[in-house]
Amino acid sequence: MPEESKAPLISIGSRGKRLVVYAVLAILVMVFALAVIDSGEPETTGGPPMVRRLTEEQYRNSISDIFGPDIEIAGRFERPFRAHGLIAVGTGQAGISPFAVEQYEASAQIIAATVLSEEQRASQLDCSPADARQFDVVCASAFLSDKGRMLFRRPLADFEVQHYVGLARNGAEQLGDFHDGLRLSLYAMLVAPDFLFRIERVDPEHPDQLDPFSRAERLSFFLTNAPPDDELLRAAEDGDLDSTRGIRAQADRLIASDRFEGTVRNFFSDMMEFDSFGELAKDPEIYPAFNSDLALDAQEQTLKTIIEHVVENDGDYRDLFTLRDTYLTRALGVVNRTPVPAREGWQPVTFAPDAGRAGIQSHVSFLALHSHPGRSSPTLRGYALRQVFLCQEVPDPPSNVNFTEIEEHVNEANVTARDRLSIHNTEPSCAGCHKVMDPLGLTLESFDGVGTFRTHENGELIDLSGELDGTPYATADGLAEALRDHPETPRCLAQRMYTAAVGRDIEWGERYYLDWLIDEFADDDYSVPDLMRRIATSENFFTVTPPRARRSDTTAGARADTRGSAQGDIS
Amino acid sequence: MARQHTIYRILLASIVVAAIGVGAWALLKDDRIEVQGGGFLRDGEAGFVITSFAYAVGPDAAEAGTCPNGMSKNVVEIFSETPEAARRAGEDDEAYGQRLETGGQASSQLPDGRNMCMFPAVAPLDPHTRQLLDPDAVADGINLDGAVSRSSADIRSRRFDFVSPDGEEGVDNQFWRAVGCNRSYQSDGQSNVYEIGMYAGEWGILISLAGVDDLENDDHVRIGIHASADPLRLSPTRAALEYATYAWDADPALNATTTGRIVDGVLISEPVDVQFHHVTNSMYTVRPLLDARIRATLDASGQLNGILGGYTPVEALYDFQFGYRNARNGDGTPAPEARRLQTSNGSARVLGHTCQGMWQSLHRLADGHPDDGGSFTSISTQYRFEARPAFLVAPELDAESDDA
Repeated sequence: MPEESKAPLISIGSRGKRLVVYAVLAILVMVFALAVIDSGEPETTGGPPMVRRLTEEQYRNSISDIFGPDIEIAGRFERPFRAHGLIAVGTGQAGISPFAVEQYEASAQIIAATVLSEEQRASQLDCSPADARQFDVVCASAFLSDKGRMLFRRPLADFEVQHYVGLARNGAEQLGDFHDGLRLSLYAMLVAPDFLFRIERVDPEHPDQLDPFSRAERLSFFLTNAPPDDELLRAAEDGDLDSTRGIRAQADRLIASDRFEGTVRNFFSDMMEFDSFGELAKDPEIYPAFNSDLALDAQEQTLKTIIEHVVENDGDYRDLFTLRDTYLTRALGVVNRTPVPAREGWQPVTFAPDAGRAGIQSHVSFLALHSHPGRSSPTLRGYALRQVFLCQEVPDPPSNVNFTEIEEHVNEANVTARDRLSIHNTEPSCAGCHKVMDPLGLTLESFDGVGTFRTHENGELIDLSGELDGTPYATADGLAEALRDHPETPRCLAQRMYTAAVGRDIEWGERYYLDWLIDEFADDDYSVPDLMRRIATSENFFTVTPPRARRSDTTAGARADTRGSAQGDIS
Repeated sequence: MARQHTIYRILLASIVVAAIGVGAWALLKDDRIEVQGGGFLRDGEAGFVITSFAYAVGPDAAEAGTCPNGMSKNVVEIFSETPEAARRAGEDDEAYGQRLETGGQASSQLPDGRNMCMFPAVAPLDPHTRQLLDPDAVADGINLDGAVSRSSADIRSRRFDFVSPDGEEGVDNQFWRAVGCNRSYQSDGQSNVYEIGMYAGEWGILISLAGVDDLENDDHVRIGIHASADPLRLSPTRAALEYATYAWDADPALNATTTGRIVDGVLISEPVDVQFHHVTNSMYTVRPLLDARIRATLDASGQLNGILGGYTPVEALYDFQFGYRNARNGDGTPAPEARRLQTSNGSARVLGHTCQGMWQSLHRLADGHPDDGGSFTSISTQYRFEARPAFLVAPELDAESDDA
């Protein structure tokens, strides 16, 4: 800047004014410095690029976003595969069964027929042939290029456009109708691996990075559980996703979108294994209040509570384990033994401090899901607390375990679960794991097998004392505090969130990145949206291990090679 | 100066508007309620929903031998005893049956063509309706008037008390005397299982307690008896659930409060007039009970088991149980006459009584609330009920349908 242009600014007036100017300049310098300063993110080698099958929700969101929310999806979806605690990770390991192929085909036929029906085609196509009996190559190319770009989440190569236009032409000629030809070609796109799988590609110029469209795909599915929209694809085409600034802008936009809340819901539903509710049954004689509607309400209660706390209030994630604010329906009020004035819908409630119920682990969704059909289970609950919320692995029980000692005393007078388990735990092969699980689950014995609060079992006062990794407590509230303050609690969430984002387990080379992520999570007051923003805008999120490096990596080599060849086959 | 004042005014107005806005937001946002844990009694208050409700009756007539003159008859049975009902030569079963039905229906008509179910007061005496007049008969219930009326004069007047199955004297239960010789009120009959409507969500009854210091003995508690605005909440096997939430009816006439006491775990209330919804064949009536009182055992798990007894106005009882003359649709408009006629005549035919016979018995046996001329206008009626813990809340007055 020329000297003469500065002079008037400095010499405006009094010393005080100069101080103000200096302060402003200092702030600007600091802001600039913060902008360019290194984030502290450790360098990593990332992991392999992934091939991930669309989940049911992602499939539905894709069709809704591309063709509109009214398009019917007729096919059924296979039961999702869970790996490393998440369906989101299982998508990277799931194949497609013949049943699934049939269902995808059924859906594709109906979607294509609906999109190109007489009622829909005017809104779906930007062009129209002069004569529907004649094939209009320009119109077909425009439609298939446009829809193909959205379905495959990348622009179609010329040969691909030619391929799908050729399919449409053949169809139109044989069926004598332009739109029928387009329908056949659209059907082919809808059953193509490029649509059904998220196939990540490496940037040819930077083999340790994903290409821009794979970046867009990761960003979009991670933050909206839906495919990239037009703006995000354009950002990828324009090179905006090559810069941190461009990625941040898109991440902020996606986090501010309506879909973000649903994405957080989806993540926690996955993490808490709510898909298992499909198999949950309770003995109606013992738990008459339980039915399929209650099961749905129970899941929704927890998800509403989580969304309100971590998204709407941007609260501390750890407080989910001590939170007394929640929502109830009248059906849930029966199990919670709580009045619910709202006749329809949800009643916001706060459990009184002496109500004995705090945290999402005291919700019916957790307590009923991790119990037996006819009784509670300290072991299942302890196992789930360890595995779901602390990411601690507990070995499966030995195959020859004898449950008769437990079953024989279920309804015996003055016998509690603690008594039954103490009998069971005399078996050395059982004791090791039960010592890890039971002290947590026994404290949750203040809730029966469906989640109703109780103080006695079989007439005997229930002893709720336990300890979590050195922290003793005497009540479920004490367990809640111990869970909240456990160092593994936020670490587990960060790990789960990252593995959900990339669709695989943490690689050995990413352990320092995970440490950094957890530190940032703490600095961000354990804000879940901030954690997701950190992940989405971190270098590691888009870093991939080049195939050569993976082959030399003895710890993960075999698995990475397998994935590399799978990608090559499909793409 | 003027400009400065204007700015101040604008600022002040802005602050006021902002304060009102923040206040309104806070009020609107703060719809979260604090909920307590615990058993069915919380802060001295408890709520119950009735899960079993039926007339308190005695043993079956066949078992106890209390109807030596046989059971009441319906119009077809009555007609079939007439000479003109004799089977004609060559008449097949179908034609004969049809002729009996037609004859029975004709005998339900007054000479001017009006139907006796709608106009029982002007119908001739029905000699085929039986009453339970056996002095040794027993019946469930409680002593409503505090007296034991079993003198010869009482027996001759047909207004005399029963002894309960457990030996309690002075049981006022004239309704049972009126219907005790009806087939449909025996244990395998269809008239005393109207709680089916309660389980279908047509109506419900709630009881509230307040000011309870001791569940075993408390000399003063406040008691509410309410019609429910919500259907009974059921399990998949259609068992009533405990600890469900129910709103009481928004209509003050369907909510009554009284006082009472708890003596050795037995809740005893002071008399109060109550009325409940009653639904038959999608027609709405009310079930009133004057000077109603509760005597029920309250156990530690919150189950309330006992008697709700009082006096039902005879005309009202006839209407909700037999005649449906004033039955209404769900929206309060009069129910179609054809449906009222079909329901009253059809049920009399199926259940084994005549409308006029029941109307006459109810008036003949009435024992409560004498009018200025000394005629009794109500009849002692007792219900045996069971209730389970529930949460009672005020109705949502803006809800479209508060009716059960």
